[in-house]
Amino acid sequence: MRNIIKLGVFLLVVAGLAGLGIAYVNGLTEPIIAGQLLESKLSSFKEVYADADEIKDETDTYLKGADPVIAEINVAYKNGAPAGVIYTVATAGYGGPVQSLVGFDIESQQTTAVKVISQTETPGLGAKAVENSFSDGFKNKDAARPVEIVKKEPVQGNQVLAITAATITSKAVADGVNAARENFMSNFVK
Amino acid sequence: MSLVNEFTKGIIRENPLFVLVLGTCPALAITTSVNNGLGMGAAFTAVLLASNIVISALRKVIPDSIRIPSYIVIVAAFVTMIDLIMHAYTPALYKALGIYIPLIVVNCIILGRAEAFANKNGVGASIMDALGMGVGYTLALVVMSGIREILGAGTFFGIPVLGASASPALIMILPPGGFIAFGCILALMNKLQQKAS
Amino acid sequence: MSELGVIIIGAIFINNIVLSQFLGICPFLGVSKKLSSAIGMGIAVTFVMALAGTLTWIIQSYILNPLGIAYLQTIAFILVIAALVQFVEMVIKKTSPGLYKALGVYLPLITTNCAVLGIAIVSIQKNYSLIEAVVNNVANAVGFTLALILMAGIRERIEESDIPKCFHGFPIALFTASLMSIAFLGFTGLL
Repeated sequence: MRNIIKLGVFLLVVAGLAGLGIAYVNGLTEPIIAGQLLESKLSSFKEVYADADEIKDETDTYLKGADPVIAEINVAYKNGAPAGVIYTVATAGYGGPVQSLVGFDIESQQTTAVKVISQTETPGLGAKAVENSFSDGFKNKDAARPVEIVKKEPVQGNQVLAITAATITSKAVADGVNAARENFMSNFVK
Repeated sequence: MSLVNEFTKGIIRENPLFVLVLGTCPALAITTSVNNGLGMGAAFTAVLLASNIVISALRKVIPDSIRIPSYIVIVAAFVTMIDLIMHAYTPALYKALGIYIPLIVVNCIILGRAEAFANKNGVGASIMDALGMGVGYTLALVVMSGIREILGAGTFFGIPVLGASASPALIMILPPGGFIAFGCILALMNKLQQKAS
Repeated sequence: MSELGVIIIGAIFINNIVLSQFLGICPFLGVSKKLSSAIGMGIAVTFVMALAGTLTWIIQSYILNPLGIAYLQTIAFILVIAALVQFVEMVIKKTSPGLYKALGVYLPLITTNCAVLGIAIVSIQKNYSLIEAVVNNVANAVGFTLALILMAGIRERIEESDIPKCFHGFPIALFTASLMSIAFLGFTGLL
């Protein structure tokens, strides 16, 4: 019996020391991790809408209830007035959810840029959605017209060239853009 | 001399991945690019080194009957620390390796070295053992990921090497490619061993 | 309901735990030489994963998160799994010697099976509810069992066939796994 207590206490001491060690490292790294998450979020926001003094999360103002596609709405302020809107959207791709950021400019009523921030698509095919060669196709599209994915060189303004052999992924991104576009049209275009 | 031997044995003769065939899960999962392979190898070596040092230093203190749970706690503590440190300082790598960082805990090589080496030898020898095994495992991961990245993506460390005209064999960076690459390497090791004996 | 269906199909076929997530490779290669042992291992893993998934979810939601010590996740989970495996072993040994005889040898191997810890962590990362987490764990375990049994069936035949000597054992098993993995790639896009 005494032996069991001795062993138990020993294990407890080992686990306690291990816990303390982890807590110490956690204390050191926690602020860095938090700062970094914020910074990477802001820097990807800047990639889709560069010209902003301040970016505020206003999801609750512009999204009534839960939306299947739109996760977050951030408004970019310039000189104290709203200048652009950044949508965080998630749609179903080929291998799982595709999460992207869609930026709009309020004055020109056009998209600024689209950036795919997380995906689990097939490497070499759908995963190319993160590359600029695809996402650049979404730049400066009129917010009034739905974006359409085409497999040949686009001829109309609202068309975007699909990724070769990854139409489902391309469409997933376009679906996200269109959902954001509809919300943008009803909230920011008078 | 014997310390040198403890170091070199892990690199080829007792290479944990190619000869002992341990730690296969991360070796198949994250070897899609050399960067990931190197990062995983470094994280693994750091954990193995730390756990080998502590376990060999405490080998006379830890009661024999509860040594395995004690080892698990020690290894898990170091894995969590590495996990937090990588999250803070190498976020891109942290994201790429994902769940395979916490899973270093159940990498049989680490518990295996604790049981087979660190609890019988001094701190110095255990350090050399950990470094040898760590470097051996890292080298193996780099070889695997090198093969897969060059064939599957046409790049090495992200730099294109195949030339624009060659189209890479995509399958090599998909899951089946991991099995194929590992199978070929093990077959080659078998062949070499048969020649030697 | 349909969400649970998505989890089940996704875990068994699309992101098969062994063939596309590379978890539990050691038992997949080690215990797949005979069909009977593959089935035994599969049942043991399913049993432990269902229990471990439930227990780790409760610990995460009711102990680690409220106390703000989520960073102790890895260490807490591995201890729970190790203790659970020991406990299950003792209970089975006492209550059902027949079952113990069938599963006993596989139980100690499960502690270091990265599938159990891996899926427990994934269920937490995906913010599953308790029911979703348990379903996800069981579905992954079924996927593991399926891959293991298919593999064992193929390997029993390979043993008989004439292959180059240096491919015996692991290499040919890995090539088999690769072909199975290609077949399972066909399920992507199913949902």
